[in-house]
Amino acid sequence: MARFGWTAGAMAAASLLAGGPAAAQELPPTGFDPGGVFPTTAFPSLEDGTPMSVADFRGKRVILHVFASW
Amino acid sequence: MPGWHEATKELQDAGEIQMVGIIQEQHPDRAALFMQWKEMGWPLMVDSYNLLEAPYVPISLALDEHGVIQQVLRPLEDVGELDEAFLSSTFDDPVTGPPPVATSPDLETLRTRAQQGGPDDWLAYGNALATWGPEDRIDAVVDAFSRVVEADPDKGWAQFRLGVAHRARYDSSDREPADFQKAVDHWSAALALDPNQYIWRRRIQQYGPRLDKPYPFYDWVIQAREEIAARGEEPLRLAVEPRGAEFAEPAREFVTLETTVAEPDPQGRVLRDEGDFIILESTAVPREVGFGEVARFHLVFRPIAAKKAHWNNEAEEMVLWVDPPRGWEVESQMLTHPLPPDLVSQEDRIIEVEVRAPTRSLRRTATIPAYALYYVCEDVNGICMYRRQDVELTARIRSR
Repeated sequence: MARFGWTAGAMAAASLLAGGPAAAQELPPTGFDPGGVFPTTAFPSLEDGTPMSVADFRGKRVILHVFASW
Repeated sequence: MPGWHEATKELQDAGEIQMVGIIQEQHPDRAALFMQWKEMGWPLMVDSYNLLEAPYVPISLALDEHGVIQQVLRPLEDVGELDEAFLSSTFDDPVTGPPPVATSPDLETLRTRAQQGGPDDWLAYGNALATWGPEDRIDAVVDAFSRVVEADPDKGWAQFRLGVAHRARYDSSDREPADFQKAVDHWSAALALDPNQYIWRRRIQQYGPRLDKPYPFYDWVIQAREEIAARGEEPLRLAVEPRGAEFAEPAREFVTLETTVAEPDPQGRVLRDEGDFIILESTAVPREVGFGEVARFHLVFRPIAAKKAHWNNEAEEMVLWVDPPRGWEVESQMLTHPLPPDLVSQEDRIIEVEVRAPTRSLRRTATIPAYALYYVCEDVNGICMYRRQDVELTARIRSR
């Protein structure tokens, strides 16, 4: 079940991107840098398909997880 | 994710933070089942096409009330830091004006622009359609991304998204026979352009051979359903059941099982079903392998609904016999499909088999002969027959 956490996925990606396990402790670049506004791209909601975006949560402090269940 | 949820539950309950998810998955309803299992009820958005261009998953970010990324979160040890640095700070609004509201782009304008423009315009149109298109948009999405890769096959994102669209259509009632193979081919093309794209790689591995798997992708579904049911809840239904490769355990070596049974129809005497009752679709994942590498074939046998063809389950199991040519290996020469409990049924039957390419070969393409034997009936209360369907598994060895 370790794959559901950060370590299995991103560590593997870090290792892959950096070419070896030595770099696995480094957080690989996410493409989402602190200080920037998170993209306001709309996506279908899982609940009913209605397009929504992270901008719908303006006014709240958000912990955003980009993930997959595998 | 469940760890984050548990660790921040009090903050969520107090309204200090809002958890939000964006799913990078071909079948997003599986994430919904996962959320039900772990009792996480946050809003989820679906990004199967990876419009976000996320390089990998999971990625966890702390966004302030203005939508500004304040922190790229590492694993759970950052929760303490989150309390101090994120929750207790005040953040200025760098954005003037009200937050953008998700509004539909003008799809007609985008389409016209694409028709008069180039691959980038078709990509923009396809991206917009993926989210904002009408309910029956899948053909248009396939068409838009197809036009991008026809004009510029080096556009990796279009290759990936075209693969996603083909697989989505394959899982719908609008399925076209080669949709799954096309999905695999376009994902492979994308990955060849950027071998470091973790999500592209995972999409192929989900359906691919065991040697290439990092873990069984959806083995948790069984446990999830049991635990949800034990709580007295009904597990969410999945549109497409995970199976075969999606459950398969990773393997470190290719193991061939010794055949202990005799070939069931060595002289080919059983009468053929040449697609009269059962339609066969074959998909190789991947379509091309290197020397000594493994491909996983997904063989789907579909009773023809128009003829009311159906399986007869009163006799032996359906079998698949594979006879690999010299140099090629198959994990098992004879595979079976279990019989359902009903006397007759009309389900699609899927048999998956892995074959390994020779370590040396002058030929780049091999046809691996196989055949299926099954009992099939025509029409309601119609005649039932024992039939053989010949199968050719076409495997390719890629050029060095």
